[in-house]
This record gives sequence, structure tokens and C-alpha cells, in this order.
Amino acid sequence: MTRDSHLHATALGATTADADLRLVGRLASGDLDAAGELYDRHAGKVLALARRILRDQGDAEDVVQEVFSQAWRTATRFEPGRGSVAGWLLMIARTRSIDRLRAKHARPDTTGDILLETMPGNSVAPSDQVIANEQYARIREGLGALPAEQRTALELAYFEGLSQSEIAERLAAPLGTIKTRIRTALTTLRRSLRP
Amino acid sequence: MTMDRHDTIGAMLDEYALGQLSQDERRDVETHVRECDVCAADLRELTIVMEGLAHSPDAVTPPPALRQRVLASLATQPQEPARKPVDGNVVAMPPKGAKIRRGLHPAWLAAAAVIILGLAAALYSSNATRRLLVDDVQEAQAEAGDLRERLEQFAGQADLAVSILTATDMQPVAMSGKENATASTARAYWSPTRGLLIVANDLPVPPPGRIYQVWVIGGGKPFSAGLLGEQGAGRGMLIAPPPSGVAPGAVTVAVTDEPPGGLPAPSGAIRLAGSI
Repeated sequence: MTRDSHLHATALGATTADADLRLVGRLASGDLDAAGELYDRHAGKVLALARRILRDQGDAEDVVQEVFSQAWRTATRFEPGRGSVAGWLLMIARTRSIDRLRAKHARPDTTGDILLETMPGNSVAPSDQVIANEQYARIREGLGALPAEQRTALELAYFEGLSQSEIAERLAAPLGTIKTRIRTALTTLRRSLRP
Repeated sequence: MTMDRHDTIGAMLDEYALGQLSQDERRDVETHVRECDVCAADLRELTIVMEGLAHSPDAVTPPPALRQRVLASLATQPQEPARKPVDGNVVAMPPKGAKIRRGLHPAWLAAAAVIILGLAAALYSSNATRRLLVDDVQEAQAEAGDLRERLEQFAGQADLAVSILTATDMQPVAMSGKENATASTARAYWSPTRGLLIVANDLPVPPPGRIYQVWVIGGGKPFSAGLLGEQGAGRGMLIAPPPSGVAPGAVTVAVTDEPPGGLPAPSGAIRLAGSI
């Protein structure tokens, strides 16, 4: 990417993120048309994440409804400084999906409440959105390139919300091994962010 | 800040980012990260990794009916009021031109002012106390929001169950146990327009690493209705809307064991089945 095209892309990304922020502002004032536009922009990603976690189209669609309901109800409390709109919606999607997964499997809910506050959307300022998108692409590639055992452990933690002990039990591996796999996987993915 | 503490918290950052810590541990991490630039930078990087994972599944095109359903549901939902400023130095003033209620004696006002000032001094004498109070309030708000969300979810499930059981096209399905589940009993109620309600009792524990998935088979094709939620002591229940694509007419309801999360088509042994 040339410098000019990068600048152009950055400007476009900022515009996209700004447009998202304006939509959330309109949402907060009870504008249903803004809800429709926000849905059109993000429902595909939200549904994809919910489907990845729940592996069930019907449940994932229910989660999409919950995500946009929560966004509608709490748009007045959205804090732009805490991250992007996409990150916010995906954070809600992950939390709701894992809650649902836990309810179905009747697992005790030990993390669901916490995810809302610690999950994505809390670090990327909207103006950095294009850079963030490039970084997300690197993470996606990096995830695909991880050794299978590391990838499985990380995916169980992220997409199923399992604790490290639960993963150890699921994979019939020692807890220390699981901790090492997840730590190594995350270290590799963090390195992939650096040029 | 001691190195021991830095090392301890540093070792918890992965789990913090993945949402695997308890509330107390989370608070410890947050307190440390506010003071430690190294851990703060590590956490920022980890958060980008988490965001990357959230974006990693390929976007899909939602079915057109979902848009309509989502937007229709919003129209009936009230919005929460904006969060009030939490800075203790901000004092709400009456709007310009607003009349102050008459009738209070100045002595009462002075006494009230003294009490308020005393309370304010007690409350804000320590910044740390104030921060904790604010944290607690925000936490309570988040928990209340989450509880409301769950209540709505349960209420939605109860509504769906009633609508299935009272639907004019509802038919009970006689279910019987198969394989190692011959001692199991189950009741299922199928409404092609409202969905499926199934309650199973005395189910054997599924094989290790397997869960129970419920299918509606219509026109020879199986459609997943969802996973059988465990209710404890061999009891399982599912209340679900009708899977899309089920052909009208005779159906079979079946329960199989599948890998966690379920599959798009059945692969495991049938444990319960019944037909209309």
C-alpha cells in the first residue's frame, strides 16, 4: 500500500467509524431508521460470530436480535472513547452467545458478566479503524497458522468461553499444558501485530 | 509497585483478556494496569488480538426476515436514560429561569446545606473511596442490565412454550428411548407454526465429549431444533421455534448425541425418537 493510498484508506476508515458513531447518536435519540442502517452495516459480522460460537443458525439469529436490542436500549450510554461501534456490537454478541451456550450445557456462568467489560471494543479509537482492520486480518491469518493444539485451546477459550480448567478437562490434558498452549498462541498472535 | 506484584498480574493478563478471571481478580488487574505502563501496553495488544478473534469468522448474509424481526422488536423497547456524570465536582443546577420552590425557611435551608456539605465532605474526602463507589455503582448497573436481559430471555422462553402448547396445530409426539436410553421417557409437542417443546427424563449421561441435540425430520430431511439443555439428574429440555425448512406434514422428532455445539446434520446414535 502506498503512502497516499494508506492515507486515503485511513480517511475512509475514519469516515466509516464516524458514520457508525453518528448512527449510534441517532439510535440514542430513538431513531429506528438509524437502527436499520446500523443493522445493515454490522448484522453480517454479528451473525457470523454468534454462529461460530453457537453453531446453530436459529440460536445465532436470536443472538443478533438480542445484540441489536441491547444496542438500542443502551445506545444512550455508549462511550465513543472506549472503542469502535463494531467492537461494541461484537462484544455483546460474544457475551450473549456464550451465555446461551452455557445455559444450554448447564455450565455455571463464571465469566459471562465479566466479558461485557473486558471484551473487544475497549482499545481501538475510531480514527485508527483502518489500522485495526489490517491488524484483525493478521490475527485471522495467524490463527489459521497456529499449531492445531494451540488453536483448539485458544478457540475453546475464546469462542466457547471455557476456563482453562474446563479446557484441560475437555481435551483430557494437564492444566499446565493448556496454559502453555494458550499463552504461546496469544504470544504468537501478538507478534503478528508487529511489523 | 513491587516486581512480585507486576509478575503476578502480568501472568493474569491472558486470562483477563479472555474474560476468565473472577471479579476480584479482574479488579486487581485493573488497579495494577492503571499504574503500570508495561502491563497496560501488553493488555492493549491482547485486546486487539481479542478483537481480531471476534472479526475472524467470515461475515454471512442474514436472512431478510431477521432484519424485519429485529427492527419490529426495537419499536416496543424503551431506551435507558443516559448515564449521569459521575464526577463529584459537578453539581446539577436548575435550568435557567426555573423557579425555586418557595416556603422553606432560610434556617432550614442553611441546616440542609450544612448536612449536604458534611455528607459531601465525608463522601469525597477520599478519592479512592469515591472511585470504589463509582465502580460499585457501574458494576451494579451492569449486573442489573444483565439480570434484566436474562429475565427477558426466560420470559421469552415461557411465552414460546405457552404459544406452542396452545397452538391450534400443536400435536403431541409419543417419544420412546432407543439404544442405551430405553429407560428414558420424553414428552414432545410440535407445532409447525410455533415450534417444538421437548422434556426428557432419566436420560443416560451422554458419552464423554458429547451432548444431546434435537432434530425435527420432515420430508426425509433432518433439521436441527437446538441442543437439549441439561436440567440436572438426567432431565433435559428444549423450547425452540420451528427450524426453517421443515416440510409441512408428518414429522419425526429425534434426539442424538453429537459433539459439543452440535452439528448441522445428525451423526450420532439416536437416543430418543417419536413420529406424528
